[in-house]
Amino acid sequence: MKFETVIGLEVHVEMATKSKIFCSCSAEFGGEQNDHVCPACCGMPGMLPIVNKNVVNLGMTAGMMLNCHINRTTTFDKKSYYYPDLPAAYQTTQWFAPVAVNGTVEIETAKGKKAIRIKQIHMEEDAGKLVHDDWTDTTLVDFNRTSVPLIEIVSQPDLSSAEEVVAYLERLRSLLRFARVSDCRMEQGSMRCDVNLSVRPEGTTTLGVRTEMKNMNSLSAIVRAIEYETARHIDAIENGTEELVQETRRWDDIKGKSFAMRSKETAGDYRYFPDPNVMPIVIDDAWYDHIKATLPEFPEVKKARYTGELGLSDYDAGILTDSRALCDCFEAALAVCGSAKEAANWLISDCMNVLNRRQMTADQLTVNGAALGELIRLVTDGKVGRGNAKKILEAMFDADIAPAKYAEENGFIVSNDTGLIEKVIKEAIAADPKAVADFKGGKEKALMALFGKCMKQLKGNCDPQVLRTLLIDEINKA
Amino acid sequence: MEKDTLLLLEKVNQLRLTDEERDDVLAFFENADKDLQALNAIDTEQVERMVHVLPIATVVREDVAKKLFTRDDLQKGAPETMDGYWQVPRVVE
Repeated sequence: MKFETVIGLEVHVEMATKSKIFCSCSAEFGGEQNDHVCPACCGMPGMLPIVNKNVVNLGMTAGMMLNCHINRTTTFDKKSYYYPDLPAAYQTTQWFAPVAVNGTVEIETAKGKKAIRIKQIHMEEDAGKLVHDDWTDTTLVDFNRTSVPLIEIVSQPDLSSAEEVVAYLERLRSLLRFARVSDCRMEQGSMRCDVNLSVRPEGTTTLGVRTEMKNMNSLSAIVRAIEYETARHIDAIENGTEELVQETRRWDDIKGKSFAMRSKETAGDYRYFPDPNVMPIVIDDAWYDHIKATLPEFPEVKKARYTGELGLSDYDAGILTDSRALCDCFEAALAVCGSAKEAANWLISDCMNVLNRRQMTADQLTVNGAALGELIRLVTDGKVGRGNAKKILEAMFDADIAPAKYAEENGFIVSNDTGLIEKVIKEAIAADPKAVADFKGGKEKALMALFGKCMKQLKGNCDPQVLRTLLIDEINKA
Repeated sequence: MEKDTLLLLEKVNQLRLTDEERDDVLAFFENADKDLQALNAIDTEQVERMVHVLPIATVVREDVAKKLFTRDDLQKGAPETMDGYWQVPRVVE
C-alpha cells in the first residue's frame, strides 16, 4: 500500500520590536538573566497589560504579506498553562478573533508550484527560559523572554513532504524578513516550528493519527524528524509495531529519533477565555491603510525588476533580494551613481566582505545608500582610487560620513600632478634596474612590481591608467 | 463530562482529586451541560459576537523600551534565588 504524508505547521516568529507585547521591558535577545523584567511580565498580581502598537502593526503586516484577511476587531484571550516559564499561569494569546485569517503562501519545489493555505496568524506572548541545574536539583527561571511578542502562523495540513516544508519555511522567512516583521533567525530561536504529522493511504481523505513535534529550530533537523516520523507511522500501520496515539513528541537530533512527551491536550484543556484585561483592538481604516501602504515590494517582483529593467544577472539579483537592507541600500546607491552593475558589485563584493569580517548579516547593513552611490561616482569619475575607496567604505560602516569630504580630509583624492607622478616613476626605475631589464626582456610581471611600488609611494591617489602609461613611457626611455 | 476526561484534565493540570471530589465535579458538569444545551438551542446566527462586555477599544502604547525595575527589586519577595534566577523545584523528571 502506498501512503501519503499530511503535514501542518505552526510557526512561531519573534517580532522585531524594541519592547515586549504588554509592558515596556526590552525585547532584545539575550542580556543578563532577569534583566528585562517588571512586575507585569513576571505575572505579579494586579498588573495590567498595555498593548504595544507595533505588535499589532507587525501582526497586520505579516497577515497582508501572507494574503490573509485582517480581522478589524481583534481580541486577546487567556490560555491556561501551568508551568514556571509563564508566571501568570496563563498565556495571553488570540483564540476567538486572531489578527489575520484565511491566507495563502505559494511555494515552489521540484514538483512545481503549490499554494499552502494559512488558517490564521495570531499574536501572543513568548514564555521564559528554564535552566535545569543538576547540582542543586532545581530549576532556574529567567523571565527575559517572557512576554516577548510572537506571531504564530498556523497552516492548514496542505504540506506533504520535507521538501515542501523547507520551501514553505524559506518562503515565510523571506517574506517576513523583507517586511521587517522579524529577523527569523532559527539559531537564536526567533523562528521555531511545531510539526503536526500524520499519514494515510494515498487517495483517501480521512486524516490518520496526528503527532506533534515541538520547537524545531533548524531546517536540517526538521527534514530528519519528518522523514523519521513518516517512517514510524507507516511501520506502525503496516506492521503493527506500535499503537499510534495523538501525542506531543520530542525530536532528539543526535539520536535521530522522536520520543513521546505527554498526551496532547485538546483546545478545551487550555480553557481559552476572553482576556477581560485587554479591551478589543479596533483597527480603523486609517490604521489599516497606513500598514497597507508601507508593505514592501515582494522579493520575487523586485528580483524580476532587477534582472529585467536593470539588467543584473540572476545571481546578483538573487543575492540582493535575499535581504531588504541590501535592496534598500542598492536602490539608494543606484539613484545617485546611475550604474546598477557598479552598485550591485560594490554591495555584493565589498560591502559583504566588510560584513563578513565583522560577523554581521546582510540585514545588519547600515551603510547609507546615497553615500555609497557618491563613493561609486568618485571611483568611476577617477577622483578616488579603488583601494582608497575601500578604506572610505570601511569608515562608512562606523559613521555616517560624506565620502567626498572624507576623501579630501584624508588625502584620498587622485592627484593630477604629472610632475609628482613622473618623479615617483623615475625614482622607482632608478631603484630597481633589474625590473626594468626584465620588463624589456618580455616579463610583464616586472611592470606590475614597479607599478605597485609607484602606487604605494603615491598613496593610491593616482589614476591607474595614467600611471601605467607614464610608467611604460619612462621605461622605454630608460 | 466522562470520568476519563476528568482524569486526563487532572493529569495535565497536575491535580489529584479524591473519588468524592471527582463525583462532585462530574455532577457539577452534568448540570452545567444541561444549561449549555439549553443555551445552544437558541438561534444566534444573526447575532454579532460580543467581544467585550464594554463597547470600547483598547488603548495602545508606542514601542519604546524602558527599564523601570531592577532585578533586585523584583526578587525581594522570592523564596529562593540563585545567580539572578528565580529558583523553583525541579520541573522536569
